[in-house]
Amino acid sequence: MGGRVTAVCCTLVLVLLANGASAQQKIGDPPEASNMRLVGTNDLQARSAYQPTIHHQGDRWIAYIGHHGGTDDIPDPVNPMTGKAEPNGTSIVDVTDPAHPKYLRHIPGQEGKYESGGAQMVRICDGKDLPKGDRNAVYMLRTFGSEAHEIWNVADPANPAFVTRIGGLKDTHKSFWECGTGIAFLVSGAPDWRTRRMTQVYDLSDPANPVKIRDFGLPGQEPGATGAVPTELHGPISTGPTGNRVYFGYGTNKGGFLQIVDRDKLLNGPKEPTPDNLKFPEIARMPLSAMNGAHTVFPLPGMPIAEFAHDKDGKTRDIVMIVDEAIQNECGEARQMVWFADVTTEARPMLISSYTVPEASGAFCERGGRFGSHSSNESMAPVYYKKLAFIAFFNAGVRAIDIRDPYHPKEVGYFIPSITAATDKRCVTIDGKDRCKVAIQTNNVETDERGYIYAVDRANTGLHILELTGAAGAIAGLP
Amino acid sequence: MMRSWSVIAAMVLVLGGLSAVAGYEMAPPRAAAWREIAWPFPRDGWPAGRAFRCGAAECGDDVEVYLRPKLGFCNCDGGVADDDEVDRVADVDMIGPRFVPLKAGDVVDVADMPGRIRVYDLEMPKGKRIAIGIAVSHRCDLMAVAAQGRGDASGVQRATLKFLESREIRAWMIVAMEGH
Repeated sequence: MGGRVTAVCCTLVLVLLANGASAQQKIGDPPEASNMRLVGTNDLQARSAYQPTIHHQGDRWIAYIGHHGGTDDIPDPVNPMTGKAEPNGTSIVDVTDPAHPKYLRHIPGQEGKYESGGAQMVRICDGKDLPKGDRNAVYMLRTFGSEAHEIWNVADPANPAFVTRIGGLKDTHKSFWECGTGIAFLVSGAPDWRTRRMTQVYDLSDPANPVKIRDFGLPGQEPGATGAVPTELHGPISTGPTGNRVYFGYGTNKGGFLQIVDRDKLLNGPKEPTPDNLKFPEIARMPLSAMNGAHTVFPLPGMPIAEFAHDKDGKTRDIVMIVDEAIQNECGEARQMVWFADVTTEARPMLISSYTVPEASGAFCERGGRFGSHSSNESMAPVYYKKLAFIAFFNAGVRAIDIRDPYHPKEVGYFIPSITAATDKRCVTIDGKDRCKVAIQTNNVETDERGYIYAVDRANTGLHILELTGAAGAIAGLP
Repeated sequence: MMRSWSVIAAMVLVLGGLSAVAGYEMAPPRAAAWREIAWPFPRDGWPAGRAFRCGAAECGDDVEVYLRPKLGFCNCDGGVADDDEVDRVADVDMIGPRFVPLKAGDVVDVADMPGRIRVYDLEMPKGKRIAIGIAVSHRCDLMAVAAQGRGDASGVQRATLKFLESREIRAWMIVAMEGH
């Protein structure tokens, strides 16, 4: 009897070990997918990638992709187009034919490894849309490592021309630029502020001549304050003068909250950074659990809710999708995931639902690297807006979520890219020694008006261009 | 002659006594003088750490020290950047939200981890206290230390740093920072 029990136990252990081992990706393994298909790839010169922004430029589609800094092993990868080692910066890729993306140009960024260098963020505005822009120009706003924001003219994307720089900062991150007005909400670290990241509001309607409007942050972060310092900013998204709201996400993976701000009061209210003036434009602040933070806060105003269709009040709801960022490898922190807040009554926003990838569906805590959410697509093009959201989930790839009923979000597809020889390792410390695994680390995702989905990898695997198939495609009305 | 010897003996006794007192004040708090207490703060974004108290008899005044690792919370290359970072991360705000630095902070080394230390006036419901904030880092991880006491700032700081130098605490910090 004892022998039989031992045998069963041993078999179980072997099965569990085999499952754990099989969860790890190997070079040559096919991608894992449901209702999503790989259309094309580009290796992005094996640079760690952050924000992709896809721009329809004349009759071409151009992807602008920000990069983190290099790695310990390869701080400055060689650009095969120049033959030179260049610190990671911005990749410019022609994706007009998504099956055959064509790498056009790499603009080097700040020296420095991982989050200390590169040029992570990128936004694009046409000069013809900006009130005082050059009508023939296409402007790219990017961060330059932690020290500056830069503007380039990328009308000829293969030959970008430097326009100007806003420098002297101690950190930068996920900025937002309104193309219709030129107002930019730059995530900066002004040297005298007590926080690493706050907002500098600029008028970039004439990109060659930036005009600062004000500094903005939370009371307690301003210069000269004392006492507790509130959680730092991650990034804002504005609904422009029509929506008159700016949604700010604070606290990347901890102590996070959503702040709803009256845009007009922010731009035109008193600007001296006193506690009262900083509080003036705030409409509401909704805290998350201290174990979660806000990376992306994506507004979805005026969503009709089918379940509420026959109710006398509240048939449509204003929703904000909040995406946390996982930071620790191999589940070394609380789960970072996606939350939906009903902000219809703005002064009393409320979380209504959540979404995460089931860990057991892929033994993701054992695969290596980060598992959890990071960011969502931010395109408001009709093809997907308020229907489907795409979430970068690190080693669980890209996840497609049906958000038509934000009270009950539902996964309808996913794509986990294959690793390549370029995919970098991710390590955890066990008994004082590094134990490393290699896994896909889908970092950021964006969509274009055609419906293509662009996922980029933090672990140097490059760009994956995807399309929806089956039931997921049908939700968007795609053939 | 006898009187001279008496004076010399008295002086020796007085000087010896003074030296003993000075020596006691400068001596590191004995590990036994510190006792572990329950983590006194509500749950926040980081798991609870360890808390210790040293009484007035042993440390010259009541001192409490709170320490915990914050993994993945530091600039991997630059470490603890400045005093503002100490204000933000050292957990002094867990003791009380109203604290004012007494002066600019200093560089510090705790368990072979570099960082910064800063001293604060802490406003509490029952009167002012001294708080110490320490943030030291290894790779991308941070060890946050906060301390509070009723004594003078230098005494609280000295007691805190001596406690952190004790073999047990150094060993724990190294393990807590995943074997750094």
